[in-house]
Amino acid sequence: MATLYLGEFEQVVLLAVLRLGDGAYAIPIREEIEARTGRSVARGALYTALERLESKRYLRSRFSEPLAERGGRSRRYFTVTATGLAAVRAARRALLQLWGGLEGMLES
Amino acid sequence: MRRPDATPPTVAERLLSAMLEAHWAETILGDLHEEHARRAAAGRFTAAIWYCTQALRLASRYGPRAVWRCLHVERPPAISAPRGDSLMRTLGLDVKYALRSNLQRPWLAALIVLTLALGLGANAAVLAMVDALIVRPFPFPEVDRILLLSDSSRDSEYRREQVSPANFLDWKREGDRIQRMSAFSWWDVNLVGRDEPERVQGFRVSADFFPALGVQPALGRGFLADEETTGRHRRAVIGDGLWHRRFGGDPAIVGRTITLDAEPYEVVGVAPQGFDFPMGAEVWAPLEFDANAARQRTNRSLTVIGRLAPDASLEEARAQMTVIAERLQQQYPDTNRERGVRVYTFSDGMLDPALTPILALWQSAALFVLIIGCTNVVNLLLARGAERQRDIAVRLAMGADRRRVVRELLIESAVLALAAIPPTLLFAWIGLDALKGSMPASIARFVPGWMSMQVDLRILAITTLIALGAAVLFGIVPALQCTRPRLADTLKEGARGASAGRGRQRIRRALVVAEITLALPLLVASAMGAIGAHRFLYGPQGYDPDRVLAMEMVLPRAAYEGDDARREFVERVLDHAAAIPGAERAAVMNIVPARGNNNSHPLEIEGRPNADPAFPPSVDFRSATPEIFAVLDIPVHRGRAFTTVDGKNAQPVVVISQSLAERYWPSEDPLGRRLKLGTGPWLTVVGICGDVVHDWFNRRNYPTAYVPFTQSPTRIFGLMVRTGGEPAALSSAARAAVRAVDANQPVYDLMTLRAALGERTLGLQYIAAVMGVLGTLALMLAAGGVYGVMAYMVAQRSHEIGVRIALGATRADVMKLTVSHTVRLAAAGVALGIALSLLLGRVIEWGLLGTATVDARIVAALGAVLSLSALAAGYIPARRAASIDPICTLRGE
Repeated sequence: MATLYLGEFEQVVLLAVLRLGDGAYAIPIREEIEARTGRSVARGALYTALERLESKRYLRSRFSEPLAERGGRSRRYFTVTATGLAAVRAARRALLQLWGGLEGMLES
Repeated sequence: MRRPDATPPTVAERLLSAMLEAHWAETILGDLHEEHARRAAAGRFTAAIWYCTQALRLASRYGPRAVWRCLHVERPPAISAPRGDSLMRTLGLDVKYALRSNLQRPWLAALIVLTLALGLGANAAVLAMVDALIVRPFPFPEVDRILLLSDSSRDSEYRREQVSPANFLDWKREGDRIQRMSAFSWWDVNLVGRDEPERVQGFRVSADFFPALGVQPALGRGFLADEETTGRHRRAVIGDGLWHRRFGGDPAIVGRTITLDAEPYEVVGVAPQGFDFPMGAEVWAPLEFDANAARQRTNRSLTVIGRLAPDASLEEARAQMTVIAERLQQQYPDTNRERGVRVYTFSDGMLDPALTPILALWQSAALFVLIIGCTNVVNLLLARGAERQRDIAVRLAMGADRRRVVRELLIESAVLALAAIPPTLLFAWIGLDALKGSMPASIARFVPGWMSMQVDLRILAITTLIALGAAVLFGIVPALQCTRPRLADTLKEGARGASAGRGRQRIRRALVVAEITLALPLLVASAMGAIGAHRFLYGPQGYDPDRVLAMEMVLPRAAYEGDDARREFVERVLDHAAAIPGAERAAVMNIVPARGNNNSHPLEIEGRPNADPAFPPSVDFRSATPEIFAVLDIPVHRGRAFTTVDGKNAQPVVVISQSLAERYWPSEDPLGRRLKLGTGPWLTVVGICGDVVHDWFNRRNYPTAYVPFTQSPTRIFGLMVRTGGEPAALSSAARAAVRAVDANQPVYDLMTLRAALGERTLGLQYIAAVMGVLGTLALMLAAGGVYGVMAYMVAQRSHEIGVRIALGATRADVMKLTVSHTVRLAAAGVALGIALSLLLGRVIEWGLLGTATVDARIVAALGAVLSLSALAAGYIPARRAASIDPICTLRGE
């Protein structure tokens, strides 16, 4: 499944978008990742990943109404596309294959 | 509670929005805005800081892409021309437009080019100096593999120390990580021959000296290993300059015999042209190592170099030498206790430690001048941008790509910067030429690389890079400013555009304030340098340097081996010197004040043995004839000076300086006490004299002991003659006085003491002069900046001023209005400048080698000078404003 290859950070972003459902825009995505993985995420890196995922058509975005608290700008909400979901599944399968049989060694 | 007016910092927001691509700008700016609003609820200041940090981080991520986008603009399809490389073609077009647009305002373009050339020229000149003096002062092959080895001892004040012959021989025998290890030592030579006797700078070198440096004699050969033995050591390699000067460049010189220090030497080779290492040497002869030298561990007079073995690293060489030194410490505890070894790369080891701070100071000053110059250019471009705003707005309104317009404006800046390069090189060349020309050759030889300072291709390449970098820096703000997508506003505002100018005026005023702020520390540094140099030259020296002629002599060992011969020579020379018409008094002393050399001896006081005999206290040693105190006008406070009574067989006596008396007999009377200098006899103190400044850097009022020349006749000394009139007029008579005694005895460094002081402080005068030039440039540019901003403001507001006058404002009111603007700019700039000067005070002092301290009064005085210059520059536009004719202005409507 070479075409569905996902980088580690891309996987993390896709999973975070999936978890957030309808409310996934950059701020909560970043907070979700930081809360779940315990690592800090550079803002710029997140935007770059979102842009790349959208250009690979794993993500789709739509704009909200302009909001006063954003200085009259819209929010950009992201949803995972069917291709994106397939990519996440493929990645999960591949990882599970690799995990298989190693539980005894890796789980403490 | 969320406060609705918590807006993020505008500047940061604009900076970021300029960097972002349109389809992400809204998302990113919106997210930041939203988070900022949340944080502002907790604290608006911290929220603003947070916002700026985030904006900067994102800008640094997206900035390079933004620049890339600006440079890669696709040609719009509507005007697409025949196929081909579109970037190159549009670039060519843009350059053409840029040239045309710059030529439309030739005076403005010329002013910008000149301003840039001054700043860039200062930088190029200092860069050329750094390149020649620090980066590659020695043109030897593979110079980075040549090493310099130095002794190191406890609490030494020097980073480089000389090495004893026995230590050198042990190092050479045991250290295989360093090849061709060789040593050299100072050798003053008197060359006698067909012409007048001459004192030549010579060095005694070991056989591997030339191979270690990778230098092959141009004629003949270098030295052989067995020529290091006494008896076979009378061989010489002569320098190219000496060969041409004294021997007419005759190739038959090899094999001939010349007389050096009254001994015959066979010339075995001629050094290649330009080779004068070390210190302008012109003669090299082998160092002789006999059995005695191989045991000599206390007489440290050698400088040691070597070449790193092909497979060795500097660390390996260091480690091995440390092991050897530690073994020698154990083996020879008496002489090598606490003595280690330091291994430097050659360029690092030979580097004059004073050079780095001076050049660092100059480089930063030059950079300041460039920044001030660029600031002026930004101001000029902003002013021009304001004039073109409508034109650009129309283009944008008709669908022109903003990035394309920005790129065009940046190319205009780049064209200006490139146009500035020829005058830049010219300025740098003039500056370097002036520096080189004003340095006497007698001093230049001590500064390796000085004569090779030049503007070469490397400097051209670096200057071009700096110029293009500066072009982006000074071009980007005006370009972004005048293409701001506020089309409707600009078009609506009409020709006057007073409010559109507001933000721009704010930037311009801030820039002028910054210029004044940066100019002040430069002025302070140049004033400090000038004060330091003046103090050295004309400050109290402890002796009177005026109307004294001095010259130095080295008596050859072969001809003046015994003390009696030296005594007789000096006696007869003094007789002849005293007989010169116009000469009042004459004296001889082993060391002439204010020259670079010095002589110190270990000190022991009778009844007080030194606690640690390996590290005795040291005092400066002077051996002088009785008249010295009168010739130099050094006061004898107590006791007596020498007299003719203190002959060679009389009781050994000493006159000590005030500082020596105070340090070693703080509460007793030193007269009648006894002290010992080195291994000499006990000397009775008969007098206490005033202190002198031998060297402003490290020998001010240093403890000094004067002994009668008759009791301690040295081979090297200076003859000093106090004259009634102009001392330089007696030069040839003084030379003749020496020749009358010994026709083969050359004299050297014949000059007045005042001139010697001048040479000694030359370095400082250079620092002061260069800083003065840079400071003046900064002052001129800052004043020009003030003028530019005020003139532009008056031009922009001429309509408003006309209306004010029409409504009854007096000329004085208008003057007050404009002058008060200048006052505010100057006050803000000077206040910040004072703060910056005090903040940089330590840096400036370091750069001036601690010769002057930053003084609040001087900072204040120069602040006043700067303010007055700014006010004067602002006065001209103010006058123009006051003379605006309201009728004309209103008719223009």
